[in-house]
Amino acid sequence: MNQSKKLGVQYLTASIVMMGALLLFGLLASIFYLKYGFLLGKLDFNIVKQVHINALIIACLWGFMGAIYWFLPDELGIETVGIGLARLLFWVFVAAVAVVVLVFIFVQYGSSDESGMWLVNQGRKYVEAPRWAAIGIVAVFFTLAYNIFASVAKARKVTGIMGVLMTTMVPLIAVYLIAFPAPTNMSVDLYWWWWLVHMWVEATWELIIGCILALALMKLLGTSRKVVEIWLYLEVALVLGTGILGLGHHYFWIGTPQYWLSIGGIFSALEPLPLLGMVVHAIYDAGKHQMKTHNKPAFLWLIAEAFGNFIGAGIWGFMMTLPQINLYSHGTQWTVSHGHFAFYGAYITGIIAVAYMVAQESRGIREVRGNAWKWAFAGLNIGMVGMVGALLVSGMSEAFIGRALGGSTLDGFMASQSNSWFMQGMIARTGFGVIIVASYFILAWDLATLGRRREKPSPALATS
Amino acid sequence: MTESSAAVFEPGAGDPRFWRDGAIATTVFMLLVLLLLTVDSLRVLTEGGGGNVPAYTVINQKITYEFDAASNMDKPVIGEEELLFGHRYSEAEAKAIMDKGKLVIQSRSCINCHAFFGNGAYYAPDLTKAWLDPTWEKMWMPMTQAKTKEEAMVQFLMHPDRYPTWARQMPNLNLSEEEARAVTAYLKWISSVQTNGFPAGFGRREVAR
Amino acid sequence: MNPSWLLPTAALLGIYVLCAGCYGMVYALGRLRESRRLMHAAHAFYAVQGLTTLLLVALTPLAWGWKAFLLASFLVYAVIPPLTWRQLERTHALEHES
Repeated sequence: MNQSKKLGVQYLTASIVMMGALLLFGLLASIFYLKYGFLLGKLDFNIVKQVHINALIIACLWGFMGAIYWFLPDELGIETVGIGLARLLFWVFVAAVAVVVLVFIFVQYGSSDESGMWLVNQGRKYVEAPRWAAIGIVAVFFTLAYNIFASVAKARKVTGIMGVLMTTMVPLIAVYLIAFPAPTNMSVDLYWWWWLVHMWVEATWELIIGCILALALMKLLGTSRKVVEIWLYLEVALVLGTGILGLGHHYFWIGTPQYWLSIGGIFSALEPLPLLGMVVHAIYDAGKHQMKTHNKPAFLWLIAEAFGNFIGAGIWGFMMTLPQINLYSHGTQWTVSHGHFAFYGAYITGIIAVAYMVAQESRGIREVRGNAWKWAFAGLNIGMVGMVGALLVSGMSEAFIGRALGGSTLDGFMASQSNSWFMQGMIARTGFGVIIVASYFILAWDLATLGRRREKPSPALATS
Repeated sequence: MTESSAAVFEPGAGDPRFWRDGAIATTVFMLLVLLLLTVDSLRVLTEGGGGNVPAYTVINQKITYEFDAASNMDKPVIGEEELLFGHRYSEAEAKAIMDKGKLVIQSRSCINCHAFFGNGAYYAPDLTKAWLDPTWEKMWMPMTQAKTKEEAMVQFLMHPDRYPTWARQMPNLNLSEEEARAVTAYLKWISSVQTNGFPAGFGRREVAR
Repeated sequence: MNPSWLLPTAALLGIYVLCAGCYGMVYALGRLRESRRLMHAAHAFYAVQGLTTLLLVALTPLAWGWKAFLLASFLVYAVIPPLTWRQLERTHALEHES
């Protein structure tokens, strides 16, 4: 195995481990809603939540980087240029993340001046990492971009997929830098902050995972390059065509002009249309290949991606995206419900699919066997659907009681939080969270031991 | 592509380059529109620019939140002089206390429990219009034995652990008096931002707790 | 929006897209298995989406602009699955010919 592929395996492993931290801190955060005064003054909710959402970002980034370093040598036919530096930076990155998490948990709060921002916590959602760490992340991105560009130059081969991937490196770095200054005016601050969050998550990352899945599909199903590239370009057009101005659905209530209500509403209400096309596409692929693949888990996780995207971003998004509804639903557990399913459907499923492919190829397994992946697949999906369903119940009751009836005041908020519909949703959410965590451990065990454990041949799979 | 397959398709549809050019054209067009809208939005968002965001010195005035029938939404209304902490802030003083307030809010990671304009976390109340919450006069002024709303807010922010608040309890974040005053000023300013009616009916609706 | 209409409207909007999803999914399955019964089921789902659209337009306090948008996109939803399917067959035919 060449160096780039080794690094790919390292990043993907780190990504799966980080998902563990993501889930454990998520489960811990859910207990705060059930138990009054839980860990109060020791490890407050905001710190736990902060670790939870940062782990999500890091798990996704590591997953993408792992997949990119893994597929790059296949696509270009050469060892990745500058891989030595990239391998060194992997360890720097892991160490830096560990330091940041320890600082979050043990130092918690910095002073309210520039030194606090540089050393402890920037205190902006998703951008909590202290500035030194943020600069480190930029350095890692530049190295990744250098690896890709220099390798393409050396191989003298710009495929369509590489062209898209190279283009995504520009917004990946640019919008991260745009969101740095954090002006005092919260409205301006959030205006640029949404460029980072939306343009990363709902545009740049969609394209990166699109490139990764394009490479994966060519390998997994043997789809021809021409077909894959047509679909990738179509996806770019649809994602950016609706996604760039879809930014508007975050600009409803931050002090922005009123025209954003119409722009944001229309572009995000259009979103389910291409997602419906993806569902049809997934069924077409599944049917035409009659599930004949040597890596069933990877294939099923890819199918889950299409459905997860449609349900999480499509149905859940559509319920709350029109401004008249969003006025009440925005910033409640309803939002939380949508966010969880959308992130899971769009990214986590894709990364797991790639992890299965990499585990198979790196260990020379002819066919992925065993039953563990089935339990993990069922458990994670059932757990997710149950959790977002429970959060939806809580969120709807919160929006109705706290917002529509209560007018969002302290009294309204407190009334919504102690309502029995809200509480039952929260209890069910934690229950499904336990199922998710348990299934995660099965998944991690399966990925770690695939091809390394002794097992009986599985008759069900052998005949399929 | 062979001649025979080309006949099956509309011109170009089977050629990836056709789709690539389409993707580039769509993206460039959308980016240009976003750029134009951004120029206009930033004008509206700049503090004291005459748009939706008043200057920081608005903390010297009375702020209310009223339903505006013409636009069918709630809007902040800036009234006569109403000093904060009995002090008339100059432009420079107002800017300094806002800078501090924002840094306190960031350093204590407030938005990982609370939210501003609905952005943040949902474990604690949204703070967009917190300054206008009737509960400060109704409950917190008597409870903290403060003479003014802003003094009550400072008392609460410095010692939230002394005052149990039903379903949630705010931890003590070790705010100095200066920091608590800065946050209070920031909350007063942010309540004056015109937010297209969010949150609706704030302070005028009531629900049994 | 009248508070009592908040949740029914949101639920109808959710059902609207859910029906579209079921229509697309069952349509694709129907084409795959060449089953007329499944195709009928697909159209039934689309009909339910149409009913949801009617309810949204007739009853809910959404602004007329959004109602027009819902009606228009209801019509667009009809053609997404067949169009996608046709395009899929065309691009994949290309795969075997070239």
